[in-house]
Amino acid sequence: MSMRLSKGLIGAAARLRPTATLPRAIRPALVRYQSTSPNVPVDPKSKANSILDSLPGSTLASKAAILSATAGVSVAAISNELYVVNDETIVAFCLLSVFWAVGKYGGPAYAEWATAQSQKIKDILNSARADHTQAVKERIDSVSQLGSVVDVTKDLFAVSKETAELEAMTFELEQRVQFTNEVKSVLDSWVRYEAQVKQRQQKELAESLINKVKKELENPAVLKQILAQSVIDVEKIVQQKA
Amino acid sequence: MVSLSNSLSFISSPLDQFEIRTLLSLDAPILANMEITVTNIGFYLIVGVSIAFILNGLATNYYQITIYATIHSIVVNQINRTKGQIYFPFIFSLFIFILVNNLIGMIPYGFASTSHFVLTFSISFTIVLGATILGLQKHGLEFFSLFVPAGCPLALLPLLVLVEFLSYVSRNVSLGLRLAANIVAGHLLLHILSSLTYNIMTSGFIFFFMALLPLSFVIAFSGLELAIAFIQSQVFVVLTCSYIKDALELH
Repeated sequence: MSMRLSKGLIGAAARLRPTATLPRAIRPALVRYQSTSPNVPVDPKSKANSILDSLPGSTLASKAAILSATAGVSVAAISNELYVVNDETIVAFCLLSVFWAVGKYGGPAYAEWATAQSQKIKDILNSARADHTQAVKERIDSVSQLGSVVDVTKDLFAVSKETAELEAMTFELEQRVQFTNEVKSVLDSWVRYEAQVKQRQQKELAESLINKVKKELENPAVLKQILAQSVIDVEKIVQQKA
Repeated sequence: MVSLSNSLSFISSPLDQFEIRTLLSLDAPILANMEITVTNIGFYLIVGVSIAFILNGLATNYYQITIYATIHSIVVNQINRTKGQIYFPFIFSLFIFILVNNLIGMIPYGFASTSHFVLTFSISFTIVLGATILGLQKHGLEFFSLFVPAGCPLALLPLLVLVEFLSYVSRNVSLGLRLAANIVAGHLLLHILSSLTYNIMTSGFIFFFMALLPLSFVIAFSGLELAIAFIQSQVFVVLTCSYIKDALELH
């Protein structure tokens, strides 16, 4: 029964196999393949060659030898029970399929993303390096502008020394002027004092003379003498006028 | 020959793959007759740690960008932009350790170390205990305010504190349980499905082709397992970060 079923199924599969149209499972792959090169039809020969090239070995003979050796070793290992085919083989096959699918479909996208990330970080580092180089160059330029700083400093020092000397001289002269002013004011005050003393003495002298004269005028003899003298003087004047 | 074929045809329990077996045992009267044994879980953990070290040594730009950037963003977003940075090495090591062990467990004839509660619980208890010590060290007794929800009525306080405490303690279990349960479930499912597929395939010529349908399911579940290996590692470190954040910044 099972044989009949299988024969029937195989026959049906052969009958159902489309000759002109491609199986549905293959179509998306071809569409995707063609989408990258829309005008170039796939050459079956080159396709076959690419499959052959993907096999290990350099020549066709070595490829065949490697394939047959692998098949032989696998059969020997399984038949001698060096490798036992059991449910773990199914797990291994499934796991490898998943890894293959992840590598095939996720790998390029991941590599692209990772490369973009790597490039992003590289760009950041490179721009930082460029910024640093620019900053160092600017610093070098600004420092090189200060190349004559020694001479300028020497001149500035000389100027400051001169300024200090002039300031010292100015201070000395200011002190002298101040001292002179002090002396002058002292002398002026002395002069004023002497003038006052002189004035007072003259005043005292005048007073003493007036007092003396007044006192003498109180003396009749003196008055008489004055009168006599005055008469003489008047007579003289009269004589002269006459 | 008959006995060999019998032994090959017997159906093993799906749980056999999780059994811890002794690989090497030193039975000598030294160190007070202490049993020094290398079991399969110990061996696979050593292998996992070695692979993690080798991966770090051979780290390429791609590896660094993906894993480093992912873990760094988790740490920065979950804990703190500045204070969280010091936990990055720990979180990164934890992620790589769990991921590598998950992936090793997927290899046929391999052993899934992370499917063992003894491993996942020891990691999760250590993490929650460490986070608690961190919180106590940082906040002192104020750390216990973590168990008091903000603005709760005084009458409900004892009940809510009890609930919060239970929730805090259950983190120990939930963190480890989640990882181990996922890995165990995935491996059991894969084992059962692959056994079924194998049995169907070996039943006859036509059944070989009929088994392509369950085989596609196994392939799909293998993909799911691969995704779970990554997702569970990520979930584990995200929750670890969240627990550390709780200890650092009492909510």
